[in-house]
Amino acid sequence: MNRKRFLNSILTLGALPSIPFTAKGFDDDPEALTTPKYLKSGDTIGITAPAGHIDHEEIQPSIIQMESWGFKTKIGATIGKKDFTFGGTDLERANDFQEMLDDPSINAIMCARGGYGMVRIIDRLNFTAFAKKPKWIIGFSDLTVLHAHLNRNYGIASIHSKMCNSFPDDWSKAEIIQIETINSIRQALSGEPMKYLLDVNPSNILGKAEGVLVGGNLKTLETLSGTKSDLNTAGKILFVEDTGEYLYSIDRMFWHLERTGKLSKLKALIVGGFKVKKDEGDEEFGRTVYDIVLEKVKKYDYPICFDFPVGHQKNNFALKCGVKHRLEVAEDRAELKEIVSTTK
Amino acid sequence: MAKIPPYLDRGDTIGILCPAGYMAFERAEKCIEILQSWGFQVKLGRTLGGNSPNYFSGTDEERLSDFQEMLDDDDVKAVLCARGGYGIGRIIENIRFKKFKKAPKWIIGFSDVTVLHAHIYSNFKISTLHAPMAAAFQDGENEYVESVRWALTGRKSSYEVKAHGFNKVGTAKGELIGGNLALLAHISGTSSDFKTKNRILFLEDIGEYLYNIDRMLYQLKRNGKFDKLAGLIIGGFTENKDTDRPFGKTADEIIHEMFKEYDYPIAFGFPVSHERDNYALKIGVQYKLNVNADKVFLDES
Repeated sequence: MNRKRFLNSILTLGALPSIPFTAKGFDDDPEALTTPKYLKSGDTIGITAPAGHIDHEEIQPSIIQMESWGFKTKIGATIGKKDFTFGGTDLERANDFQEMLDDPSINAIMCARGGYGMVRIIDRLNFTAFAKKPKWIIGFSDLTVLHAHLNRNYGIASIHSKMCNSFPDDWSKAEIIQIETINSIRQALSGEPMKYLLDVNPSNILGKAEGVLVGGNLKTLETLSGTKSDLNTAGKILFVEDTGEYLYSIDRMFWHLERTGKLSKLKALIVGGFKVKKDEGDEEFGRTVYDIVLEKVKKYDYPICFDFPVGHQKNNFALKCGVKHRLEVAEDRAELKEIVSTTK
Repeated sequence: MAKIPPYLDRGDTIGILCPAGYMAFERAEKCIEILQSWGFQVKLGRTLGGNSPNYFSGTDEERLSDFQEMLDDDDVKAVLCARGGYGIGRIIENIRFKKFKKAPKWIIGFSDVTVLHAHIYSNFKISTLHAPMAAAFQDGENEYVESVRWALTGRKSSYEVKAHGFNKVGTAKGELIGGNLALLAHISGTSSDFKTKNRILFLEDIGEYLYNIDRMLYQLKRNGKFDKLAGLIIGGFTENKDTDRPFGKTADEIIHEMFKEYDYPIAFGFPVSHERDNYALKIGVQYKLNVNADKVFLDES
């Protein structure tokens, strides 16, 4: 029995008081990471809106699809709720999320959409029951707050992927890349080992690395800096993506990563999609995203993989945050692969 | 209280440069003219004007060496950043403050220059001047432009502003810290990060999405930056952007809501902003903030 499983089993017995999570970060010991139980047919996925507002109608395609995978769904009280941009007031969103965290009949929580709002409720949430019996939490963009918070404070894995608002309305007419992207959520939830074969990018820095995968939306990561949800990236593989930012802002965010020491001890860096906002007027920034990234990391010797299929785009494959992966960037191929832990 | 660089006398020299974004020389001409009319000499850095083909006023190396030379030049008593934009964060780690620490001089500017203010105050306890830059001088002298002159020559500032419906009355004394919200959030966790305990914090910003203003405030709040303030000054939050689904609150409403739980005095609508209304404020200097029912006073003590 490995240590992870051992820890799980004693925790579920309730034999231990809740672990005192210190500011040092629970994630500093990769062996202490916990992977929630994978889903099996008949398990239930809760759907909630902790950030932006979403209607019942908009989540129907995701319900149909997840039920076709053999899962049940449970619709949270925030679906259809609206407080301007938010899926309900802070209190309503926090309550809904809390119920999902604590409800033993819910095996995974899918955030219906991103937008903005997770950081407004994260400190209201009580993760005690969840930490004893973790479940998969699914989402990206604004939900990067959750991925970082869970990794930093509880060492619990979570799934970075598309959400309810991105399931194609008509599966039969969907593009292959959309179908593959959505199917990767099922794959991740079911515990099939993840493997991603990537296009070669001439800007890539070659090499091999192993480490726990962490990351998400770059702007969201920056706004967590200094808080108790701040990521510790040392010894890890970091992935970042963003959308709608000016090049100067992307540059400033990569400088932020560098100045906060988040680039210096990486095992590898994965750069996903960056939808760039056009420079205004004659203020041409004069550098591409590749230039911006390479400028910051040229002094380091870890591998870098560009244009990874993660981001605000159709090809946004499910990634398991807080799980060990192996990245291989070669001249003719690049591959990211989950390292499946075996019983020692 | 922070160490105060020597105030300027007639005949002293002010260096002008662009450590961040590009600025055409013509846009600084009026500023130079006014500084000279005040009796100062002006020394121009190579990064003002120039022939940079892109956003920046020069390469990182050029901007760094220009700034470094001004910083180390015994003849220069103050360094005015002609404009902000973006770029100081790219060179800050490479600026050598060794000589400046021993012989401080006034560093002037705002917006992107917030990085310099926080960095210098946090690391060296030296006062800097958050104040209008070259573009603000273009329409000639006004009380905001003149506030730069009085600040540099050592006249203690005493600002009086009308009350705002969101103000929280009370008095506070403390060293002043602050600047552009986006930059203050951005430097969290870096070596330029700042402490706010027992201090008066001021914030302003331009062109941000309302949700992002909210998010940045949450970042500072979660970093404990609001817990032990002596007082808070809210400047202009102008040209805000909104998402397709409206955020539903103005910037002032967002801020008002955020600070409801604190009981220190708060002054909204203070003239510190990217607009014309932008008083010179000395970072690290002790001020007294007096917010009463119909007026707000900010006095250098």
